[in-house]
Order: sequence, then C-alpha cells, then structure tokens
Amino acid sequence: MLFEPFTDIVPSFFGTLNQYPLLLTIFLHTVIVIPMFWIYSQEKERLENEA
Amino acid sequence: MANNLKWESQKLATWYFTVAAVLFGAQLLMGLIAATQFLYPAFLFELFDFSVARMVHINALVVWMLYAMIGSVYWLLPEETGIETVGVGIGKLLFWILTAAVTVVVLVYILVQVGPADQSTIWLIHEGREYIEAPRWADIGIVVVVLGFLGNVFLTAIKGERTGIMTVILADLIALAGLYLAGMGYTDNISMDQFWWWWVIHLWVEATWEVFVGSLAAYGLIRLIGASRQTVEMWLWIEVAMLFGSGILGLGHHYFWIGTPEYWWEIGALFSSLEPLPLVAMFVHVTYDWGRETGQGHEVSNSPALAWFFTNAFGNFLGAGIWGFFHTLPQVNIYTHGTQFTSAHGHLAFYGAYATILIGMFYIAVQGTNNIKQLKATFDSKMAIFLITLGVFGMTIALTVAGYGQVLVERAQMGATWEAFFISQDTLWFVQGLGWRLAMGVVTLVGFVYLIKDLLSTGKNPIHVR
Amino acid sequence: MSKRTVSVWTDVRFWQRSAAWVTGFSAALLIWLTFDTMGQIQMGTDADLKAGITKRVPAATVINYNIDYKMDDHRGHEVPVIGGKEKFFGRDDWSPEEAQALLDLGKLGSQAKNCMNCHTLLGNGAYYAPDLTKAWLDPAWGPNGPYLGMTGKDTKEEAMAEFLQHPSQYPTHSRMMPDLGITAEEAKGLVAFLKHMSSIDTNGFPRNFGKKDLTLREKKAN
Repeated sequence: MLFEPFTDIVPSFFGTLNQYPLLLTIFLHTVIVIPMFWIYSQEKERLENEA
Repeated sequence: MANNLKWESQKLATWYFTVAAVLFGAQLLMGLIAATQFLYPAFLFELFDFSVARMVHINALVVWMLYAMIGSVYWLLPEETGIETVGVGIGKLLFWILTAAVTVVVLVYILVQVGPADQSTIWLIHEGREYIEAPRWADIGIVVVVLGFLGNVFLTAIKGERTGIMTVILADLIALAGLYLAGMGYTDNISMDQFWWWWVIHLWVEATWEVFVGSLAAYGLIRLIGASRQTVEMWLWIEVAMLFGSGILGLGHHYFWIGTPEYWWEIGALFSSLEPLPLVAMFVHVTYDWGRETGQGHEVSNSPALAWFFTNAFGNFLGAGIWGFFHTLPQVNIYTHGTQFTSAHGHLAFYGAYATILIGMFYIAVQGTNNIKQLKATFDSKMAIFLITLGVFGMTIALTVAGYGQVLVERAQMGATWEAFFISQDTLWFVQGLGWRLAMGVVTLVGFVYLIKDLLSTGKNPIHVR
Repeated sequence: MSKRTVSVWTDVRFWQRSAAWVTGFSAALLIWLTFDTMGQIQMGTDADLKAGITKRVPAATVINYNIDYKMDDHRGHEVPVIGGKEKFFGRDDWSPEEAQALLDLGKLGSQAKNCMNCHTLLGNGAYYAPDLTKAWLDPAWGPNGPYLGMTGKDTKEEAMAEFLQHPSQYPTHSRMMPDLGITAEEAKGLVAFLKHMSSIDTNGFPRNFGKKDLTLREKKAN
C-alpha cells in the first residue's frame, strides 16, 4: 500500500515529499546523516593535530 | 534494615525504592483483578469495575517506575559527583509530600471512581486519559515536586565532579520532566488530545526513559563488573544518538490513525523501525562487557543486580524492540491497532525495558545499605528473577496468541464492528489466551513474593562477602 | 602538521557531537511537523461544512449532517463522507454554540466516566470493550442491530443515550458495561461526541469496516 502515490487532504511540503515511494524517508535520513560526515572529518582533523 | 549509608541522598533513595516496591505489588494485584474480569465479567461488577482496576494497574506501574527512577538518581548522584546532594533535606520533604499526594489520588480512584461531566472531575477525581489519569491538582503537585528534584540534581551536578553519565542524565531528566506538561491540558478535539498525549507517553517510554536506562546500565556496568568508564560512556553517547535519532521522529508511529496527516505513515514507520537498533547495541554491549570483565578476572560485586541488568538488556530488545517492530508498520498496524497485540507488546516492553533494571537498582541499594562487598545470588533471588521473567514472558505469549486471534477474526474477517469485537472475544484462541495470561500473572505474583522476601532478608544473609 | 593514526569512531567527542546533532535536528523537525499537523487537525468551522470543504476534524455542527464511511479510490482507503442534513435528537439546526456545548459536554463526559479504560477511542485505550471510533456507524446501532429494539427507541441517538444511562439493562454479551451515573444531558453530549468522532478522517482506520467474511479476491473485486 505504501508503494502507490497518495494524495492527502491538505498539500504541504511533507505531503508532497510523501507522494513518492520512500522519498520522504530517504530525504530525511540523508539530511540527518550528511552532517555526520562533516562532524567526522572535523573530529579527525582535530585528533590528528593534537599532540 | 541496618543503615550503613554515609550519604543522606542514598537514604532518600531507599525510601523511594521502598514505595516503588509497594506500588509494584499493587500493580500486580490490580492486574490480577482485571485479568480475572476478562474471564469472569461478573467479578466485582459495579463494585470495582475493570476500568477502575485497570486505571490503578497502569498508574501504579507508571508511578512505581518514576519513583524507582528518582530513587536511582538520588542513589547514584553522590557516587558520580563525589558530593552530598545539594538540598537533600528539601528532597526528603518533597518525598513525603509526593507520597501523600499519590496516596490520596489512588484512594480517590478506588473509592470515588467517576464523576460528573465537568471540569471539577478533571481537577479532583481523574482526567480519564490513559496512564496520565492523575487529576489536575496532582499534576501541578507533581510538577512542583519534580522541579525540586531537578533542583537537587542540577545544583549537585554543577558543584561536584561532572561525568559523562551525569551529563546525559541531567539533559535527559530536563526533557523527561518537561514532557509531562504536554499532557496537562484539556481540549474538546479528540485528535488534538491524543496528539499531545502521545508526546508524553512515547517521548517518555521510547526516548527519554530509554536514555535513562542507558545511563543506569552504564553506571551499573562500572559498579557491578568494573567496566572502564571511558568505554561505557562512549557507548552511552552512541546509544543516545541512536535512541533519540530513532525515537523522536518515531513518535509518528502513533499518528497513523488519529486524524493526523498521511505523511506520518512514512516518517513514523521508517524512523520507529530503527528503534530496535540501539536496543541491539545495548544488549551486545552489556553482554560483551560482562564476558570481557569477568574473563579478565573482575569479580561480580552484586550477582542478582547483574542478572537483572542482563535481563534488562535482553528484555528491552525483545519486548520493546521485537514486539514493537512486529506492529510498527502501518500495513500491519491498521489491523492490530487497539487489540490484545498491543497489550502483549506493552507488557513485555515495560517489564523488559524498565522493571528489570529498576529492580536491579533495588539490589544495588540493598548491597550499599548493608555494607556488603560482594552480594551473591540466593535461592530466593533466583526464584524471583526466574518466576517474574517467566510469568511476564508467558503473559506476553498468551496475549500475542489472543491478539492474533482477535486481529484475524475481528479486523480481517468480520469488518471491525461491535459484533466482530464480541465474536472475536469468544473465540477459543482468545479465551484460552486470556486464561493462560491469568495463570502466568499468578506466576509473576509468586515471583514478586520471592523478590520482596529476598530484598528484605538478603541483607542479613551470612553468605555474602562483607 | 603531525599525522598520527587516530580512531574517530572511539572518540567520545565525535559521538557527543553526533548525538547532539541528531537529537537537535530530530527535535526541530518534530516541532516543524507539529505546527503543520496542528494546522491540519484544528476543528473546522460550520462555514466549512456548509461549503462542503473537507476538514480532517470537522466542526461540532457535523452532528446536523449524515455521516458515512466509504472507500476513496484516490486515497486508497475508506474516508468519512459528510452528506445531507440529518436530524439529531429531533433537530438538524443545532447552532455552532449549541453543538459546541454538546460536544464539550460529551468530551468531558468521556473523560469523567473513564471510557478510555475499557474502550478504545481512535484505537487508543483499553481492550475490554469495543472501539468507539465508528460506533456511530456501527450496524449494531442501526435498523438491523439489537439496540433499537432492546431500548425501544426510534432513533439511533435515542437508543445510544438510553443505553448509556442504564447500560447493564441492555446487555448483548456477558461482558457488560457498568452503570456510571450518566445523566440524560450527559448521555446526549456523549452521543454527540461519538457522532463527531466518526466524522474524523483517520486515514482509513478501521479497514473494511462492516465488511464481513471477504476473501482477498472478493475485496479486490469490490
């Protein structure tokens, strides 16, 4: 059932993303994970430069 | 009980633990009444109805766990910070005020039961909203007491030594306490009502309470098997990331069917499906550390406590993680929503995630109060953990079978009507499932009796190393 | 710049910052989604009903209208359908204030009498008694059900109100509802609350409401 496009009653940003299978999920998980790469590289640099 | 505690904060903790244990007993008795009524509906009909027994059952549950959590904090606070809790005298006074309030609230539940359809009932008798039935006057009292408790914790944490465990607990407690406010309101819009209600319940049991358990487990591993603080605290931060990362947006899995928009299907399902992962991490971590530390020759300083902590790691994953995952996807949930399946998950989750580790803390308190260096398992302690775990797990299986039958007949086959409900309640699987649930509930109560016997007597037992 | 081998994965600060980021972002997103959802579940107005504008939670004056629950192919599940005017306790002209007062009385009543600790509302509550989400539409309260005859009433709402005031006089199962001291006025309010609740868009819960014994093939054909 989740693999068909839906139309909810009220259009909204999330309702729109929700139209396509897994788009909302992939979008949110990507947005959350990408900054963690940045945090990782920042911490790596900091640790490498510590005496 | 002999009192060798040098910290006043830990004495206060034992008071909280004592009331918690009493309320746990009340919870079990009420549960047995309610379970009996499922099978014999005439039992105490119009004297002490199911709605009253169930209300006291779930309120006793929530309150005993909150008491044990507050007690746990008062217990570990001086050990983590190295100083006596700031304002502990006020903390003691607040304990008495809170306990008096809880007593009044429960007596009103039992003796008054219902009221007229106006705000006076909401303010004085109960709010009629699952788990947070406490009348508004008591809500306000709870807020005041908890602010006092938070004051104790915060002032002590900033004055004493700051550990990773304390940082997590501090942040977590502020969120935990603040969330209670979300349930303190009235609206005539049932969708809005349930939307905010879930902010309290979900963000408690599937976010802030879980993080609290993670902190207790970290503390326990250091205390019980000498695990390294650095390792344990690193794991704690990983667990916090995973618990909040999955749990906060996982709140959406309660917004599938209450009138809220459809985008919650996807957000709720896919974030809450991740909720078992931190529980796997906790389980793996506890097991691995136990093996490694005892393998390296560290003695276990409190065997019953460690057994309860280990049961927690496993039970949390099984009850909250697995049973929760079973029905978290909307494709399944549309059929199982509001059935005995939900009850099955609830029973094992509350037990596995919370009751177990809090009972572990009771044992840590017994050890400290009696100045025991190494507390060993006894026949009673083994019977307690075995029978209670067997009982709750048995209840869960029974309810799962009953729930499965109910979902099949009432929802899938018969169209979810009034008639469908009653037909499903009379099917063989359902009735037998509820019968086994009652039997296993009795097993749980017997285990509880062993637990109390052990907690009261083990302090004097000469087998322990002092 | 010295480049020693480091392990970021075992560094506490990395995990602290990750935990802070994940928690902060999730909380912020939850708050944004809450604002969006709040807007969508605010109760509609009487004007919406008159203009045929669909709201997830209609106004209290929905009690003046006929409510049904039908499959919507576009959405892929059943949705409430608000039809033409229908008398409720003899009137179809309940004003917004009167309807709101009735709904308020009913909602307070549902809490004061602790309905949620036996029944489920929108699927949440206790599992001792039936779900009340679509109770207003339930066949048991309709012309082919037992209650109209048992209570000796002509309309569904009167039957429900009568039942609520003397529940143990009208049992349909050994698991009976107890007498909770519900007054006639409170009963009216509770029925209004139930009628209103059945008009809320629950994204298709309960599924296949009222359809019995259908195999998968038959459901698809339907």
